[in-house]
Amino acid sequence: MSGSWMTTRAWLLMLPLLAVMISVIGWPLVDTVRLSFTDARLVGTEGSFVGLDNYARMLSGANFQRTLVTTTWFAVISVAAEMVLGVLAALLLNQQFYGRTVLRALMILPWALPTVVNATLWRLIYNPEYGALNAALTQAGLLDAYRSWLGEPNTALAALIVADCWKNFPLVALIALAALQAVPRDITAASMVDGAGPIARFRFVILPYLVGPLLVALVLRTIEAFKVFDIIWVMTRGGPANSTRTLSILVYQEAFSFQRAGSGASLALIVTLLVTVLAVAYAALVRKAAGSAS
Amino acid sequence: MSALDIQNIRKSYGAVETLKGIDIALQSGEFLVLLGSSGCGKSTLLNIIAGLAEATSGDIRIAGRSILGVHPKDRDIAMVFQSYALYPNLSVRRNIGFGLEMRKVPLAEREKAVAEASRLLQIEPLLDRKPSQLSGGQRQRVAIGRALVRKPQVFLFDEPLSNLDAKLRLEMRTELKRLHQILKTTVVYVTHDQIEAMTLATRIAVMKDGRIEQLGTPEEIYNQPATLYVAGFVGAPPMNMIDVEVDNGALRIVGSEVRLRLPDRFRPLLQAPVVQDKTRLALGIRPEALRLASLDQAGDQAGGHVLPVRIEVVELTGPELVATARIGPQKLTACLAPRARVGQGDVAAFAVDDDALHLFDPATGQALLA
Repeated sequence: MSGSWMTTRAWLLMLPLLAVMISVIGWPLVDTVRLSFTDARLVGTEGSFVGLDNYARMLSGANFQRTLVTTTWFAVISVAAEMVLGVLAALLLNQQFYGRTVLRALMILPWALPTVVNATLWRLIYNPEYGALNAALTQAGLLDAYRSWLGEPNTALAALIVADCWKNFPLVALIALAALQAVPRDITAASMVDGAGPIARFRFVILPYLVGPLLVALVLRTIEAFKVFDIIWVMTRGGPANSTRTLSILVYQEAFSFQRAGSGASLALIVTLLVTVLAVAYAALVRKAAGSAS
Repeated sequence: MSALDIQNIRKSYGAVETLKGIDIALQSGEFLVLLGSSGCGKSTLLNIIAGLAEATSGDIRIAGRSILGVHPKDRDIAMVFQSYALYPNLSVRRNIGFGLEMRKVPLAEREKAVAEASRLLQIEPLLDRKPSQLSGGQRQRVAIGRALVRKPQVFLFDEPLSNLDAKLRLEMRTELKRLHQILKTTVVYVTHDQIEAMTLATRIAVMKDGRIEQLGTPEEIYNQPATLYVAGFVGAPPMNMIDVEVDNGALRIVGSEVRLRLPDRFRPLLQAPVVQDKTRLALGIRPEALRLASLDQAGDQAGGHVLPVRIEVVELTGPELVATARIGPQKLTACLAPRARVGQGDVAAFAVDDDALHLFDPATGQALLA
């Protein structure tokens, strides 16, 4: 009896939240699905039903394919670099040394910064006229003349990846550091007595404790990197020559710049589907890792 | 030359000195147990021998070679940890062979060593399992196997049995004794369990506050405890400590009129004169040295004494009857035969031999040996 009463009360308490979620997430989602089957424009026409035309056009278009490649590059390289940097930083910060606590706190800073602030900061660093990177490289004799890092198609994406890594590696480091602290002291001691060097110790003793938590970081970071919008929008707006245009930027351009609400909606749903597939695949991976660790 | 020579080892953490000058020399094949309650410094000493902690001063030599500053892997030691410390993602086979693998021992030789160790420890059917698929006792066997295959000069054990349940602990204790009898390797073994110490050791170092209270064979530690602490720590129930006063060449139990003739071996103390009239001493009697006697024999007997007591609590543990009694205002515990006919409130008498009496100076805690 009390069980059903509890259930009723639980639903009652959740009702306001549910109402908000349905109105701000549920309804727009349903409406996006509807829009994606029409040729509606952002302003003006309501649009008429066009079936799967939008999807077909988007998926077969050169823009989408090129953008997908750019997005994948961005996600794979930045996430891989963040993982490596994060683990290295965590290994370092797990050592005993003077000033460790201060350094641990400092490391969090980039991650704590709002993305827009970080992006603006890096735009200053990359500035072709007075940027710190140009100054440092020319003064070190590594560069003859100032370059426009964000203005050249062949360096813009790399410059963005560096900025994104700088912001996000602390999250990986933080997760890895927590995992490192869970490695039993006895096991590391045993491996030292057994004669394992630093590399063998990392591989056989430490890594097994890192794999689970790192997979979680990997899932979070990959999904985020795949949907990246803000840092790119602030730094390059997808340019130059669309060399840094990722899927989210493409969705924005399609729906808002070109005001094609119908095809924009279809593109947004395609991105959502891709991210969902990634999330599900990773979740399975994490479950498998957790299973083999226990 | 000693197999293991610990010379004046000191260890400080800031202002706190956890080891205050430890000296032990072990012959090859000895089984040394470092015995003490937690915080006495026994694990610190073991970690210093292993190279997992550094001594502040002093020296440690294995087979004559100083190992201070030498990496743990190059010390020719193997260690078994309380938590087993197995590598969770490696099979039992690789766990045991890990030390050899890291030393680049050829696979065939490694396999042979692993097979030999696992046969000795009876864990052959487990070789392809992961540590998570093993019971506590099996894990400890694997941990011991990992130490065995290395054939080190010295084995170090850090409370290896304390994570096991009582029955398994007994089994593994016997197992360790059997292994030591076969292998005859030098062992340093840390425990707070005095039964483990008594049964396994060829020598015991009882430690307290960073010092060795007494270093001796189990028999010496049990029969001739050097200090009040050792007397109280080794033995269960612990040795009875009775306040006595020297009274005209006899010992009077404080708070009563019961007097014991001072046994002959303590007589020289009166002449020294270490002990004067009215000096307060602690009289130690092991509970198992007391026997039930007839009350009308109370008083000094040839080679012993009969003490009149009042029984307060009687507990049958199975193999023995533990009787807690009062002699005057002081408590006296006796381990009697299980069928001893005493009950709560009885007025009875306990007999004890002269040989079983120990005297301690309560001020210094030192035994008065004559």
